[in-house]
Amino acid sequence: MSSMSSKVSEIYDSFFKRTWSPMTGGILLALLSIFMVAWARPWGVVGGIRNWGDWVFYAVGLYENAPKHPLYFSSSVIDIGILAGAWISAVIAREFAFRFPPMLEIWKGVIAGILMGIGSTLAFGCNVGGFYCAIQNLSASGITMMIGLIAGVYVGLRYIYWEMEHFTPGPAGPTILNKLPPALGWVGFAALIGAAYAYTGSDVDGAELMPGYLLIGAGIGYVFHRSRLCMVNGFREPFMTGEAAMGKAVAVSVILGMFGIAILKFTELRDTSMYVESAFGWGSLVGGFIFGAAMVVAGGCGSGSLWRVAEGQIKLWVVIIIFGLTNSLMRNWFGANGWMEKLGSAVYLPDYLGYGGTMFLIIALMVVWYVVIDWNEDSNALVVEM
Amino acid sequence: MSDIKQAPDGLSVARTLDAKGLSCPMPLLRTKKEIEKINAGEILEVLGTDPGSRNDIPGWCARSGHEYLGEKEDSGFIRFFVKKK
Repeated sequence: MSSMSSKVSEIYDSFFKRTWSPMTGGILLALLSIFMVAWARPWGVVGGIRNWGDWVFYAVGLYENAPKHPLYFSSSVIDIGILAGAWISAVIAREFAFRFPPMLEIWKGVIAGILMGIGSTLAFGCNVGGFYCAIQNLSASGITMMIGLIAGVYVGLRYIYWEMEHFTPGPAGPTILNKLPPALGWVGFAALIGAAYAYTGSDVDGAELMPGYLLIGAGIGYVFHRSRLCMVNGFREPFMTGEAAMGKAVAVSVILGMFGIAILKFTELRDTSMYVESAFGWGSLVGGFIFGAAMVVAGGCGSGSLWRVAEGQIKLWVVIIIFGLTNSLMRNWFGANGWMEKLGSAVYLPDYLGYGGTMFLIIALMVVWYVVIDWNEDSNALVVEM
Repeated sequence: MSDIKQAPDGLSVARTLDAKGLSCPMPLLRTKKEIEKINAGEILEVLGTDPGSRNDIPGWCARSGHEYLGEKEDSGFIRFFVKKK
């Protein structure tokens, strides 16, 4: 019996305490990305935090019309799910704590949050809606945002090198609540299931879809936190340390998710126009560039900032709050002037290349990226020295 | 990447880097810079609060050839120990 119980405890540790490899995270993320489209729509990050920003400006009287209810708005419920899943993962693994950074980091969070708000407006999404899910949904704008992101990440990295030469961060603030009992994570899990069931009694329009948004979102948050999957890391490390594990996981994840979503769109089970926004052109290029540079300074992209919020990193709280407020203001301003349609064109790649050609193009792009960063891992040819 | 390596007791540390409160990628970047300031065979101690450093610092050691000696959990932060190659 003793070997049985030690086996059980080993299995428990591997699912709930140990860090998963980036590739495990990437493959599971692709699966959940397909689940979300199969449920109703692609997942994203920025739509939900913009909704929360809209409420702030509505409350102070800047906006006339009340935004959608955050508990009945799909984007917001997905983000709540991601936060819940990452928080449960962090608490069970004893990795949660409120960590207060030095002041320099707070200011970097403010500036990066503003730039991420601007970049994600221009690109119709953050690294998730604008790049990861956009490519999986066969939108040409995902490819142009990727080019912008890579260029932006390079510039962001040059900035942090410069900062290291000229600034020393002051003393950090306290670390508190670092001793939450892991059992609290299981209480959170039970509450999550309870919340999903609570929707079933609601007669609000669309409420029947909310449990899926919440639970698949929580799965995404859990996978992100357990594997520490980070798209900033994937784009940045080839230039910083040469490490390619995260970048390769993102490339594989994009391809796997694309297959599932292409099936759902080809068979017309899902609307082909989903996540195909009018950003193919300068919107996604410039937006990707600004967002890419800012996410390096922030230390988290849209999804990465959100799961680090759930882990208690106060700098990323600053990033997400400022990011949501800026995106809300700029999106409303652009929307009111009809500028969102002028950021580029909505290009659904299969309309031009067919489904086969589109999948070939996306696989080829991801394979080239995979091979280049893998080669760079040994040659360090792309690594920028300090 | 999976199991946490505990550092042995009584290590004699040549230099300490305080990276508490810093988030990814600053703890690793500052570690890279700080290790230039000690001699081969000496030990750098890094104080951090970002759980991501548990992957980043051992991973970087494996790539750069420095020896990762392990970590020690303190109250509210972690001490990481790296022996310069």
